[in-house]
Amino acid sequence: MNERDTSAEVATLVRQTLAIPESEPIHPQQLFFYDLGFTSMDLLDLLFRIEQHFGVEIPEGTIYHLARGNLAEAEFAEDGVLTEAGRKRLMALLYDTPPELFPARIHATTLPRFCTVGAITRLVDHKLAAPRLE
Amino acid sequence: MFELMRSIRIDTENGRASGAASILADHPLFADHFPGKSLLPGSVMLELAAQVAGPLAEEFAKTKLGIERWAILGMVRDARFLQPVLLPASLEISALIARSQSSSINTNVTVTVNGERVMQAELVMMMLDSSTEWAPAIEARDDRLARWKEAS
Repeated sequence: MNERDTSAEVATLVRQTLAIPESEPIHPQQLFFYDLGFTSMDLLDLLFRIEQHFGVEIPEGTIYHLARGNLAEAEFAEDGVLTEAGRKRLMALLYDTPPELFPARIHATTLPRFCTVGAITRLVDHKLAAPRLE
Repeated sequence: MFELMRSIRIDTENGRASGAASILADHPLFADHFPGKSLLPGSVMLELAAQVAGPLAEEFAKTKLGIERWAILGMVRDARFLQPVLLPASLEISALIARSQSSSINTNVTVTVNGERVMQAELVMMMLDSSTEWAPAIEARDDRLARWKEAS
């Protein structure tokens, strides 16, 4: 059983990434790109910090693979753009992201843009629970 | 700033590279840094380290990952400037692949002067597909790299 307060630890790493003071709260429902002003480099930096802090590996394409699950590659994305089934899978995985933020055409390389702090915390919990599964 | 590099040696198999750079005290770039006491700026040290890490990342990506992409310095992490570098100076730069994926390659770099470590950092090289307008820059880079390799 994981008794770590992953949420608080991820929030600390988010603060360190953006040099946000301790006094400023980080909420699970905050979106990295929309609410916190992350850039793609900030997100990469955060993922490196998470890997180092928690001792897990989060390779590129992790959100893609988690969202796709057992769906066939061709059913999930076509020419680098999510199919309708793929879009639904992504929305199910990132259930705490407001649905209206998902555009009709979602390019497969942009999936981390739709993540909340909570989604990344769940990803870390998933990695800590089964670090060798992926 | 490419003229400061003297040589480079790339060992793709082991994911490492080393390079040498030499900087004169009267180089015009450092005239104001500082008048009468030339000190190598930390940003220049990082740039020189990236000039070793970049070709290493590109050759590593081509050989080990099977992709031909161009390395651009994207992020500097945990940079530590351990000693001031007074000019003139000869720098030995080493880079080691720490993490690799198709979109980015992390390298741990160290710079030593007279056997003493003066800087260390993790450089994240973003691996980009080239576009047609990059052709002249890529050609210049190939010429430069060939010269540096020949000098090693």
